[in-house]
This record gives sequence, structure tokens and C-alpha cells, in this order.
Amino acid sequence: MSSDIAFLAEFANGAPTRAALELAAGAEELAGGSGGSAVALAYGPGAAGAATLGAAGASSAVVLGDDAAPAITHAAAAAATLRDLAPLALLAPATPNGRDLAGALVGLLGLPAFGPVRAVRIEGGTVRTEQATLQGTVITVSEPTEGAGRPAIVLVLPSTFTPREGGSGTAAVTSASAAAGPLGAARIVESHPAEAAVANLEEASIIVAGGRGVGSADGFAPLHELAAALGGAVGASRAAADAGWVPYQLQIGQTGKVVKPALYVGCGISGAIQHRVGMQTAESVLAINKDPDAPIGEFADLFVVGDLFAIVPKLTAEVRRRKGR
Amino acid sequence: MVCIKQVPATTAPKRYTADLRLDRAAAEAVINPLDEYAIEQALRLQESGAIESVGFLSMGPEQAGEALRRALAMGGDDATLVTDPDLGGADAWATARVLAAALDKLAPDVSLMGMASDDARGSLVPGAVAALRGMPLLSYGSELRIDGSVARVRRLTADGFDVVEAPLPVVASVTDQVGEPRYASLKGIMAAKRKPMETWSLADIGLSADDLHGAALSRVVEARKPEAKPPTERVEGVSADEAVTRIADWLAARKLI
Repeated sequence: MSSDIAFLAEFANGAPTRAALELAAGAEELAGGSGGSAVALAYGPGAAGAATLGAAGASSAVVLGDDAAPAITHAAAAAATLRDLAPLALLAPATPNGRDLAGALVGLLGLPAFGPVRAVRIEGGTVRTEQATLQGTVITVSEPTEGAGRPAIVLVLPSTFTPREGGSGTAAVTSASAAAGPLGAARIVESHPAEAAVANLEEASIIVAGGRGVGSADGFAPLHELAAALGGAVGASRAAADAGWVPYQLQIGQTGKVVKPALYVGCGISGAIQHRVGMQTAESVLAINKDPDAPIGEFADLFVVGDLFAIVPKLTAEVRRRKGR
Repeated sequence: MVCIKQVPATTAPKRYTADLRLDRAAAEAVINPLDEYAIEQALRLQESGAIESVGFLSMGPEQAGEALRRALAMGGDDATLVTDPDLGGADAWATARVLAAALDKLAPDVSLMGMASDDARGSLVPGAVAALRGMPLLSYGSELRIDGSVARVRRLTADGFDVVEAPLPVVASVTDQVGEPRYASLKGIMAAKRKPMETWSLADIGLSADDLHGAALSRVVEARKPEAKPPTERVEGVSADEAVTRIADWLAARKLI
């Protein structure tokens, strides 16, 4: 039993993902308050170099595997590690891979699970999490029942924690060895990268998103211009992704990305609840829609009723002018 | 075997009971919308001859039988409901335990689920069921294919897609990209009434309330409304130039430009 906080650290293309850096900072923050330390459970291509997570906040790192296998195939190794460490909590990214691996750990070890959460606290040695449920209409605070096993598995939404900047240090690295077992029978047999680079919306602090009202793939051109002027990225609603106007990686919402940018600009997006749950924690929401009754008008900070094709290009020019370029 | 969950309708008003559980009797209940895509995927596989039969499994209160009837109206062959007074407030772990035990008894080649539930949104159950049943997971498929004794999903990645494969039997989950769920026809609704539906208790799947530690390893200690945001500022009935000035001033005031 320890006051340590473990976290899943996914690597891709030889480096830790943004989620791994966020959770490293979060684990260090939570562990620091109760005299424990942050322990990374690292997997994915590049995980052998997990010592670098020391600069992000981890005191130690256990490498589960360094290959491109599906995340859940590392569940047996992760379970063996957690049995030994018995940390207070395991922070997992609320991504498809993070959820698969976290779910397998819940099944293998019989653990309490929480999330996706937007806040985690340790109070008197107890993990308390805050979660928006029922499409964001209720916020619940939860904790493990007495006698529940350790660790508490906590799914953490992107941007809940901020990566450490300019940190230094090296995490002590060990590796876990456990037979993958039946969960290891899933394997990636084909990989098809996109022809053009796709932005990672979870890293963008400004997002200009387009919906059905954008009308076509070409209709996204002015949104890209505005995003470039603001220094942000382009996102979309499910309607726009389904129509094939943008790749699905840019979809924001219940079945797409959950984002928390400083500024979200919704263009031609009605604001259905399924979209709203993906962006409602944005700090500032601007909506441009020609329908004065669009639901997004009920929760945007600034709602402009008008034609996005008339407004967006002029706004891009004005943003450029005010930024002095 | 498609696992479905009955949830409060997305737009229905909801409230919590005194012990901070969702009051499932208070809201109109529907099939979890994302489970309908799993149903659709299973029915397409059956129609293409890739699988022989489609069954539906749900865990919930007795009225969850209505969700199973609605699924049977879309198609498929039979349904099983696991219901027990000891299951109220089940968390991800208890739900997975119950589904895994029922699936062990039903022994399908594919145990299929939607990618998330509308109410809890943890998406932990597919992985937990795979771990408990000791079989591979093919998750978040935008398409599921069965080819002889092998299952494959097409799965979105950060910048493209992968094809992930595993030998049967598997646990799988699919996304809302598999194709729009069909509506139940009148004929389907009539046919559903004659399709077999079994009801099992915890004892029927070899579990007891003690096995489930009171159905949950976690508990809700507080439920509250989110903080009200300041009212929306509206800009309406002005020229595009005026709108742009207002937006730019608003961005500048928030130090976003």
C-alpha cells in the first residue's frame, strides 16, 4: 500500500503522447500532496525511453511493452505491476486505448472505476472524482466504497491537467514481464496512415469548428483561414464528418474528440447535445449560425446570427489586421 | 450476441434518487442510442451470411425487457434479460461481471457492444468483459467483419486507420460509423412479440450478491447542477461588418487576439 499515483503513459512514434504528459503532471500533483510519487506505466512505440517522463513529473516508469500492439494487450503486464505497487489511483487517458486498457484492469483486478472525470482530488487518503453525467446536466462526486481494492481506476479527460514545462529529471525505468494471455490475441494486421497530416484537436488551444451549415468540403476553406489567423485548428461536427467533408479525426462530440480549448468557434453548428458534450468545457464559445433558434445559441458566450460565409472571411481579415500581420 | 443497455432518453428530464442513483423510473427509457449501431452491425452480418443468428442481452430492471423487445423488432432471433433486485446501482465492474457470466452461459462467437453508453460514458465494460471472459477485444470498430474463424475491425487512429484482427470468440465494440440503424417495421414489431425472451436472475448465471459487493465498488457522494454560465450575448440583425467588429472586440476583451 502506498500513496503513489500511477498513470498510463502511451507512446506513439517514439515519444510520449500529449495525454501521457498531462497525466504525468496530474499524478505528480496528486501524489505530492500525500507523500507519494508518480509512477508511469508506459507502452507503445518509444516506451523503452520512458526515463524522459522524469522531466514530466514521473519518479519511476514501468515499461509494459515498446511495440505497436493494441493497448489492451498490455493488460496482464499492467495488472501484475499494479498488484505489486498497490498505488492509490491509476490515471488513464479517456481515449479509446486508455479506456480499453483501463477496462481490462477493472475486469482483471476487480477495481472501482471513475470517469471520464474533469477533476480528481485526494482527500484524507481517499480518491474523489468529479464527473459530468447525463449529457452534462448533473455533476457527480464519487469515491471508492470501503474495502474496494486498489488502485481506483480514473479515466481523465484531455486538458484536465497541464503538462509541466521546462522540467528536468529522469524516471527510474524497470520493465514488466507477464504473458499477455488471451487478451494478447488481438493484433494490428494493417495500418493506413492518412495521406495528409491530421491535426490533434486535443492539443489545440483555439478550435474553429464547422457543421452542416458549412455545406461542403470546400466550405471549410474559410474556416481553415480563420483558424490559421487565430493560431488554432479546424474541427467539425459529426454531420460534417459523416458527409466526408473532413476526416473523422476532426469530429468533436460524444463519439469524437472531447476538447477543452481556450476558444471554440462554432460555424454552422446547431449544437446538438451529442456535439455539446465534446466542447462544453471550452473557456470561451463563439457561435455563428444563420438560425436564430439553433440550440448552440443557448450556451454560447457570444452568439452571432448571420451568414458564416459573409462573416468568417471578414473576421479573418480583421483578426489579421488587429494582430498586425 | 449484442449487449444493449436501456437508458433515459437523451432529451428526457432526469433526476437522482435520495441515495444518489439515477432515477430510472422517472425518465422515458430507450435503447442506448450507440447500442443501436451494434444491433445494426450484427443484423448486417447476419444478412450477409457471415453469422447464423443474432441474440440480444441486457442487464437492468424488469422494464429493460422493453428495450429488448424493441431490439427484436429491428431483427434478430432471441433475447435474454438479467434482472435482480441486487443489481440496482451496478457500476462498471459489477455490470461487466454480470454480462461476462451471462455471456459465458450463452457462449456466442461474438459478444458485441456499442462504443459507450449515453448516461455513464465510461466505455470500460467491453475491456472488462473481455478480461473476465479471457478473450481478445476488438474495440471501436467503424466496421466489423467475420471471416470464417477470424474477426476484424477497422479502427480509427490518430491520423488514419488500422485493421485489428483476432480469432473467434471475441468481445467487440463498434462506433456510430457502421451505418445508420434501421427502424423497426410494423411487421418487425409484430414478429418481435413472438420471439423468445428469457429472464435470468443472478443465481441463474452462478453469481450471488456477495460476489458483487453490493453491486458497486464506487459510490456517488454528491450530485449537483453544473454552475450556471453567464447568459449568452447575442448579435443579431446587424451587417456582416458590424458583426465582425463586435466579434473582434469580444475576442480582444478576452485576450484571444
